[in-house]
Amino acid sequence: MSSHRVSRVQLLLVMLLLVVLQFYVRPRLWDARISPDFLLIALMLFAMRSRPGLAALAGFAVGLIADTLTPARFGAGALAHTLVAYLASWGRAVFFADNMLVNAGFVAAGLWLRDLIVLVTSGTDHRQIITELTIYSPLQALTTAGLALIVLIMFRSMFSVRLDA
Amino acid sequence: MISTSDRRYSRRDTALLLLCLGLSLFGLFSPVPWGRRVADTLRETVLFPLVWLQTRAEEGRTSRVRFRRVIFERDSTAYMSQFLPSLRAENERLRQLLRLSRRLNTSYIPAEVLHQPQAMDGRTLLLSAGSRQGVTLFSPVVAPEGLIGMVSSVSKNSSVAMSWAHPEFRVSAFTVGGNAFGVVAPSNEGRNGEGALEFRGVPYRDSVSLGTLVLSSGLGGVFPKGIPVGTVIGTVREEAGWERVYRLRPAANPGSAAHVLVLVSSPQARDLAGAFPSDSLLEALRLDSIARLRRADSAAQAIRAARAARRDSLARAAPVPSRTPPSPIQGGAPPSPMRSGTTSGPASAPKDSAP
Repeated sequence: MSSHRVSRVQLLLVMLLLVVLQFYVRPRLWDARISPDFLLIALMLFAMRSRPGLAALAGFAVGLIADTLTPARFGAGALAHTLVAYLASWGRAVFFADNMLVNAGFVAAGLWLRDLIVLVTSGTDHRQIITELTIYSPLQALTTAGLALIVLIMFRSMFSVRLDA
Repeated sequence: MISTSDRRYSRRDTALLLLCLGLSLFGLFSPVPWGRRVADTLRETVLFPLVWLQTRAEEGRTSRVRFRRVIFERDSTAYMSQFLPSLRAENERLRQLLRLSRRLNTSYIPAEVLHQPQAMDGRTLLLSAGSRQGVTLFSPVVAPEGLIGMVSSVSKNSSVAMSWAHPEFRVSAFTVGGNAFGVVAPSNEGRNGEGALEFRGVPYRDSVSLGTLVLSSGLGGVFPKGIPVGTVIGTVREEAGWERVYRLRPAANPGSAAHVLVLVSSPQARDLAGAFPSDSLLEALRLDSIARLRRADSAAQAIRAARAARRDSLARAAPVPSRTPPSPIQGGAPPSPMRSGTTSGPASAPKDSAP
């Protein structure tokens, strides 16, 4: 087995760990509206190392999971995650994506954009949209970006791999 | 120049994106029951492990919250149970104070004792009532058990009371039977660290028995008559055969007083003994009434004996036979209900109750 393949397996293990954290640890944390979104971290880190089409597919899957497990409007999460993942993968070519801080910034921006799309497509009240996008989404984006930075620091060698190479 | 493979990848990416977007929009704009059905199916099949994981996490969180709540409740209960006896004691004291205020026939001002650094360090007390509430200098301060002290300085909203433990405190007092008068002052020789009082200036001939209640006499113009000061618990010294000094157990403890009444009317106006019906006072009053009955009984017996003696002497002087000799009972006073069967001669009254 080549080292490249080993790195891919390790990366997938990290993704799996993030999924477990999302469903086993996140419910035990503080307020769900500002606790970090482990699933979005996994999606963004995956999308930034993949081709846009694969990233869109992963985003669709993650969004489908979110739609299935949350009582929001079905399809809104899938749409939002698909767009965010595709844009993250496409934006990798524009920005200096190997920098960890840029990665964390991508995660924060992706979370805020995801919330915006979900709220708009779900037909949420304007006042609630403003509250969410100005208070809770930035706070959650901060916690999620911080945790993404920790993950990148801890698993730096694994995230150096390019999945589309 | 874009290579053919890149162009192919790009087309595939666009196709995947359009496919995902199409599916998402279909889910978004499809009828709600369809979306719910798909979500239910996914939850019970593919996503079942994730749902199970989330359920365990929620259970863990809720059980942790419940456990924390139980611990909080237990701690709160333990904390409250620590204060329950003291709260009950304070409640009882407040009830006693209310009862005392109803029995008092003089005007008063309720006040809280604001500063108690130690349980027995109550020489001076800071009271929460001042001149604005009507407190004046030298106003007596009482608790349900008896005398606490007097006001030594007054400000607008607070005042300082000198308790009986203060070295300069003096109060004119008398025993509840009224057989001994003297001055009560704090003792320098407290037992077991407790404060004590001395009943000084009691004449040598007026002995006071243990357990006698000592009340304020009303002399001096500061304290009204009848406030319990203490109970005689022993003799301190006898000075040169003319004076006895008794040790008193104070009626009220200023160190543990939290609420007091400041009496504001004229101290010589009325007798307050009826406002403090303590056990010792009732016992003393009962003993006093028994002694009074005994005195009356002995007086009646003396009269009967004198009459009988007079009849005997008359009979000896003029021995006239009579048909019905007079009985010693006839003409005598009726027997007292308090007279005991063993009493044959005149009973002597207790010394502490003889006036």
